Amino acid sequence: MLSFTLRRLASAVGTLFLSSVLVFLAVQALPGDVATQILGKDATPDAVAALRQQLGLDRPAWERYVDWIKGALHGDFGTSLVSGKGVGGEVAQYLGNSALIAFVTVLFAVTGSLVLGVLAGLYRDRWPDHLISTVSLVGMSVPEFVVATVLVLCFSVALPWFPAVVLYGPEAGVGQLLPAVWLPALALAVVMAAYIVRMARTSVIDVMAGEFVTTARLKGLSTWRIVTRHALPSALLPTLHVIALNVAWLAGGVAVVENVFNYPGIGKLMLSSVQNRDLPVIQAIALVSAVIYVVCNLAADLGAMALNPRLRTRGRTR
Amino acid sequence: MTSVVSVDSLCVAYRSGGREVPVVREVSLEVAPGRTLALVGESGSGKSTVAATLLGHLRHGSRVTGGRVHVDGRDVFALPARELRQLRGGTVAMVAQNAGQALTPTMRIGRQIAEAGGEMPVVDLLDQVRLPRPAELARRYPHELSGGQQQRVAIAMAIAARPKVLVLDEPTTGLDVITQRGVLDLIAALRDELGLAAVLVSHDLGVVAHLADEVCVLNAGRVVEAAATRRLFTAPQDPYTKRLLASVPRLDDPGLAVVNEAGERTVRARAAVPDGAPVAVAASDVTVDYGSARAVHGVSFAVRRGEVLALVGESGSGKSTLAWTLAGLRTPSGGTMSHEAGDLGRPAPKRPLALRRRVQLVFQNADTSLNPRRSVGDAVSRPLRFFGTATGRTDADEQARRLISDVRLDPALADRLPAQLSGGQRQRIGIARALAGEPDVLIADEITTALDVSVQAEVLRLLDDLRRERDLACLFISHDLAVVRGVADRVVVLRRGVVVEEGPTEAVFGAPGHPYTRRLMAAALEPDPDAPGLPEDTPEWVDAAGTDGIWTDLGDGHRVRHWQPVNTPVAEGVS
Repeated sequence: MLSFTLRRLASAVGTLFLSSVLVFLAVQALPGDVATQILGKDATPDAVAALRQQLGLDRPAWERYVDWIKGALHGDFGTSLVSGKGVGGEVAQYLGNSALIAFVTVLFAVTGSLVLGVLAGLYRDRWPDHLISTVSLVGMSVPEFVVATVLVLCFSVALPWFPAVVLYGPEAGVGQLLPAVWLPALALAVVMAAYIVRMARTSVIDVMAGEFVTTARLKGLSTWRIVTRHALPSALLPTLHVIALNVAWLAGGVAVVENVFNYPGIGKLMLSSVQNRDLPVIQAIALVSAVIYVVCNLAADLGAMALNPRLRTRGRTR
Repeated sequence: MTSVVSVDSLCVAYRSGGREVPVVREVSLEVAPGRTLALVGESGSGKSTVAATLLGHLRHGSRVTGGRVHVDGRDVFALPARELRQLRGGTVAMVAQNAGQALTPTMRIGRQIAEAGGEMPVVDLLDQVRLPRPAELARRYPHELSGGQQQRVAIAMAIAARPKVLVLDEPTTGLDVITQRGVLDLIAALRDELGLAAVLVSHDLGVVAHLADEVCVLNAGRVVEAAATRRLFTAPQDPYTKRLLASVPRLDDPGLAVVNEAGERTVRARAAVPDGAPVAVAASDVTVDYGSARAVHGVSFAVRRGEVLALVGESGSGKSTLAWTLAGLRTPSGGTMSHEAGDLGRPAPKRPLALRRRVQLVFQNADTSLNPRRSVGDAVSRPLRFFGTATGRTDADEQARRLISDVRLDPALADRLPAQLSGGQRQRIGIARALAGEPDVLIADEITTALDVSVQAEVLRLLDDLRRERDLACLFISHDLAVVRGVADRVVVLRRGVVVEEGPTEAVFGAPGHPYTRRLMAAALEPDPDAPGLPEDTPEWVDAAGTDGIWTDLGDGHRVRHWQPVNTPVAEGVS
């Protein structure tokens, strides 16, 4: 068990290292560098060269990578070309705002979809299943910005319960942002839940058809006990990875929805930095996304290990 | 005495494509307390469905279309949900077929047993099913136990709440003969101890003869014959029962049994292997390792053209590993294996085409070894074209049809998909596919294990015909001694990867020299309630192969590995 955890951790660190190299190389491969970005199209070659030297851009790529990664490990991602402020602080501020949405989304989407998925699986081929499956199919097929727009039409325009857009900047506090969180979170949750519902339904059906569930039933146990004690631990295993992938997907999905609501989160920052070609910020956001993916998958694997005694007891002698 | 179980003209049907297909038709039976009733039949006979109705359980999509099931005076299908739950486990308990799958993988054994209710502490229950170190075992997960231990846990779970009726659905299918014997003895002991009524579902007539007081023979959902066990086995009335009984291979058959429509059996003498028959494959001192575990340890044998050599042993004896190594699916870590067309020590992809063509394997499970999306004709014609036996597509199709009729099937089946054939038909296609390369060596790995007895008899007959017609050298892997007795010319008994005894079939079966062979034979169950069985006079023993030689030669190729009784250190080997 310990060796599995350690191996999994080592591979997570390896993945992070590789993705940091890829992110760095991808930004290097873009036409034009930071110096030309700062000075604009009309700058003389001499001025560009001088600035490149000043910024250290004339040094070999691997040296600059080492500098960048060293700084990144200490939370220093360089300076934003647009605001002139430290990238680390800026990204952290926007990320915090997004985390608020993400937290609410994950909370609703995961609990809600697991309950619905399990219900659909238990009531297989009866009306609750048909209803849940149809709704989740619709949720899956409609893009998140459409869902977001429909929600705005319903709950801010027709029924003025929630604000349609956020009027605050990135430095707004939790109290100011909280009323604006619900609609974007709901839009994301609908899309995300669809996948989890379908996966949970399928694995619940598989497990409920298993012989050990029949055995439990023939032992005279109550349905509640059969589902919670015998079926769910096995049924959750495959669902766990779908949840992890979906939580990781939030990092990207949030971008579109944040723009619909003008929410000052990481997605909004990403879009504006791409428009402004703010390379240090883009680089930092890419790295942060990679971290989120790796951490989510790591959590899913460790969770799967906790649920699966075969993995947990590996190495124990018979 | 009044019966504790009473089934009265029960009819069950399931819906398939808008139609109701009957699976159980007007079945009636009674079981008195302390008695054991066996439901016997081949796959599809409805025996498991009937057994499950005693617990008020029906498969998804099935329903009772008539009749009643009474257990302990209560109408099972009229009970409200809560009382049905109390009935299950409390009054009737079930031991399912495959304990490995019937136990919840994510739950400790102790908790699973405790959940079944009852007053008995878990440790006492585990002790009662003769499991060692019960306290420690209760904390284990199912995958940490052997198959026999899992089945004992399932039994402990079933008797936890002290039920009145025990339903046993193929309780020992998939277990080794020796393990099976242990589990059956346990069931019999518990039944007598607790005064249980038992309903035993089995396709194995040996198990039935050993355990049941009465037998109900089912065919296509109908009871064709019901009688006391001794009467049924000595004087079967119905032709179906007669055929079923006659199809079971016996330990004392000198050859293959052939059964006619009326159920009369004649034993066909084994074909004699011609004296000068050349050796087709020879293995010498073969060793196979799985990582650091040694599966096969220095095994040597030779098979001549036209000869059937059987490898027998329990699971874990290395017999299948050996077969797979010979077929080139594993690489041996030592020793040599040779064929006149080349070296068999190399894995299949590295063997020359001519050699691969001439050594062919038939798999245990024809259902999983055939591509479900390709017609069976395709499955047979593919190797024909691959090995260059056929010149073109039409020629290959034609030859494939001929091969299909060679395995006694209608060539028109060539266009069917594997799922549209019965288990026996699929296994014949598996054989036809192996024959497509025109091999001289055929490796048959437990090819009849998954088949019903009557189908098994047909497939064995086919194999025997083919070796006569095609002069095949056949390596026959089986754990079923009675089957081996009928088809094999010579037998090699393996235990933990080591040969403990080998020799001509008659000699080994007539006078087994090694205690392990004797134990295997004593554990084998004959379909005869009066079968004396070999006395279990097997001493505890240890291997004594050493510097003074490995074998005791009994003449005519019959030899036994040195062993000595465990309590007397200086014994002179074979007794």
